[in-house]
Amino acid sequence: MALKSHYSRLYPVDDRMNYPTICSITEDEIDLNDLLAQITLTSTGAAAIFTGIVRGLTTRGDAYETAYLEYESYRSMAEAKMEQVADEIRERWSTIEGIAIVQRIGKLYPRTPTVIIACTAAHRHTGVFDAARYGIDRLKEIVPVWKKEIGPKGEEWVKGEYIPRAGE
Amino acid sequence: MSMNNVKTFFFATLRDRVGVRLVEVQIPAQTNVAGFKNILVEKFPALNGFMNHALVAVNQEYAFDDAVIPNGAEIALFPPVSGG
Repeated sequence: MALKSHYSRLYPVDDRMNYPTICSITEDEIDLNDLLAQITLTSTGAAAIFTGIVRGLTTRGDAYETAYLEYESYRSMAEAKMEQVADEIRERWSTIEGIAIVQRIGKLYPRTPTVIIACTAAHRHTGVFDAARYGIDRLKEIVPVWKKEIGPKGEEWVKGEYIPRAGE
Repeated sequence: MSMNNVKTFFFATLRDRVGVRLVEVQIPAQTNVAGFKNILVEKFPALNGFMNHALVAVNQEYAFDDAVIPNGAEIALFPPVSGG
């Protein structure tokens, strides 16, 4: 019995406050290795990482080229909404250990990572892939960031579609 | 009538239309989001016709037409988001 309580202190599964959550808007290059290190615990055995990248050549539908994207954000709200996305992930997948959600803003050129959603867990069959996917889908719905596409034919704001409901 | 001061940020397409990123606006106490949109259109005619598609945040939370704007609120107007 004493042994059991000793182990529960070593592995604080109910102490989710200790799980690392990183949410930020940055103008700097996204350092994937650094973020991964920050959300990796001794109990971690799996990480699912999604990163969005500036696509220079789009072939789906009418083909077009992109010279660069210019991102802007409402930073205070964006970081608060990223925290909300992280909370929603933890509500849905209690197995998730660390979460990193980072959006880079400013002028970003083709082949550059723009955003990262990384989730860690003890094992891969824990919903960790789904959690990362949920994170990027949700970021694209409620986190106030916008991008303008600049190409050979001029510039155009990329249109979002999602209309949040009360409480989102 | 008692008046409240609110800071208002515009982003993306709405900032392009208004031409500024931040304005301070005086509004009557108890103005709701719908009323505030009307005040903004009067002040910035370029916004006419764009308010139906604008999202509104009050103190960093999405807010809808019936919500009353508190004194000193930070408001933001912007199109649906397109990050990622």
